[in-house]
Amino acid sequence: MAATSVTLRTPSAAGPLGKARSTSPSLLAPAAELLPSLSFLALFFALPAVCLISYSFLTQSPEGTVGLPLTLEHYRHFFGTSLYTHVLWTTLRISLCTTAIAVLLAYPVALVMVRAGALATRAITMIVIAPLVISVVVRTYGWQVILGTGPNGVLNWLLLSTGLVHVPVRLLYSETAVVIGSLHVFFPMMVLPLASALGKIDPHLEDAAKTLGATAWRRFRRITLPLSLPGLAVGCTLVFSLTAGSFVTPAILGGNTAQMLGMLVDQQILVVYDWPFGAVVATVLVAIVLTINLVSVRVLDRGNRIIAA
Amino acid sequence: MSSRLTGPAAWLLIPITAAAMVFILAPLVVTIAISLSNTAFVAFPPRGFTLQWYQKVVCDPEFLASLAFSAGLAIAATCGAMLLGVPAAFAVARHQFSGRDAAAAALLSPLIFPVLITGVALLQLFAMVGSNNTALNLLIAHVLVTTPYVVRTAAASLMLADVSLEEAARTLGAGRWRILRRITVPQIAPGLAAGSLFAFMVSFDNFPISMWLADAEHNPIPLLIFQKIASRFEPSVAAMSTLMIFFAMAVVLVVERVAGLRRAIAI
Repeated sequence: MAATSVTLRTPSAAGPLGKARSTSPSLLAPAAELLPSLSFLALFFALPAVCLISYSFLTQSPEGTVGLPLTLEHYRHFFGTSLYTHVLWTTLRISLCTTAIAVLLAYPVALVMVRAGALATRAITMIVIAPLVISVVVRTYGWQVILGTGPNGVLNWLLLSTGLVHVPVRLLYSETAVVIGSLHVFFPMMVLPLASALGKIDPHLEDAAKTLGATAWRRFRRITLPLSLPGLAVGCTLVFSLTAGSFVTPAILGGNTAQMLGMLVDQQILVVYDWPFGAVVATVLVAIVLTINLVSVRVLDRGNRIIAA
Repeated sequence: MSSRLTGPAAWLLIPITAAAMVFILAPLVVTIAISLSNTAFVAFPPRGFTLQWYQKVVCDPEFLASLAFSAGLAIAATCGAMLLGVPAAFAVARHQFSGRDAAAAALLSPLIFPVLITGVALLQLFAMVGSNNTALNLLIAHVLVTTPYVVRTAAASLMLADVSLEEAARTLGAGRWRILRRITVPQIAPGLAAGSLFAFMVSFDNFPISMWLADAEHNPIPLLIFQKIASRFEPSVAAMSTLMIFFAMAVVLVVERVAGLRRAIAI
């Protein structure tokens, strides 16, 4: 749920309303309304975030106090140790796979959601959104039971009893398991922006193309796909950054074989008590997420300019 | 519109959508099934039928303490988020001023930042200033993560509200407070109610912030379930999870009734 998915626009720019409102003390009112929330954010969000990032450049003494001198040693340690770069690559790989599969699966769902009858649309919307308010822990527990190794896992029971396999498959504690779990957790974040982009497409465009003899695939490729790109960009950004920053799903479904950056932060800070190194891992994660968001904003801007042109 | 979902495309789209729905519901259905299983371990297919796990869970003082703490925390966090978020939504939705877009972006910024890292950063801040009050630390953290949701739904409701009614009331000589109380608030009330319920659930379900700040006496319910998943394999975990699922479903139905789901989450 990123800021990119929201546009806050005032409807008052035109008409007599804007004028009437401008007679009220124009800067005083919003300042008073914003002061509590923005100072809360500055104190408990911006300040701690800056502190944490600055820790990654500081030195921790053997007694555990953190201070000068400034150093890049922790970053060198992170990028120079194969154990840690492996975790970084695993994180990127899992996030990328999850995003790719989410795109493939979300397009059909969003298309049906937008174009089906009222009842089907309502049902699909409910099923897609409902899991959002169920705790990640609960949903991941369900996947642990489904993917469980041995005859008690649901999937293995299905596969064994239908005779598709004769030996139980090992899925739990693997990257595949983490991708499946993450896909389930963040799927709504792909479907919803995509559905709102698809919902804005003028149906007459496709009808016109159909009349002119374009095939279904051609209509999708030339009309639906390009016009839904803004929704796609938002969805990909959300799914990728949320997967990259996840903890619960890799902790329950990945075990030691699919360690991700979030688990490394937890381990460094709560087990090893190495604050500067934990801060390095956290900063790397933040950098990945912010980069993805910036790229997406760029893509959206370009898309908007193309549509406007 | 429904006529447009025909032909060969429909043959492709509808089965994939159906499969996706099965995928979404599968872990929930499996959890509910396991919670009724009359075996001392998690087994599928469930054998027998029993409600003993529910009986065990609702008599478990640890579970009840977690539940009460989570509920109290979520209510307090939602109130805090409303106090901070609703005025902020008024500012960005109802006023034109330079820096408005920047203010809106700042208000929503905790949503882009990885929540897990927000949690570590707060842990560090609280450790630095020596704030040992776990409940207060958790409350501050939960207000921080729920406020953007309130800002978003409240701003969306304000933009949908009909400003000409306020104009009319002003022309008829109503004062600012009277307009707010009698015209604006009734119009945005359903959106605010849905938004606050959603904020409640965001706090109630939160794991990645609480994991840094909680302790044994202040153990929110998602943390308790996580600990039980790691340590125990009996179906009582499934029973706890099922209770969480039904509670969430109830909230979804209420939100859908009050304001419409899509509007409440404003994606």
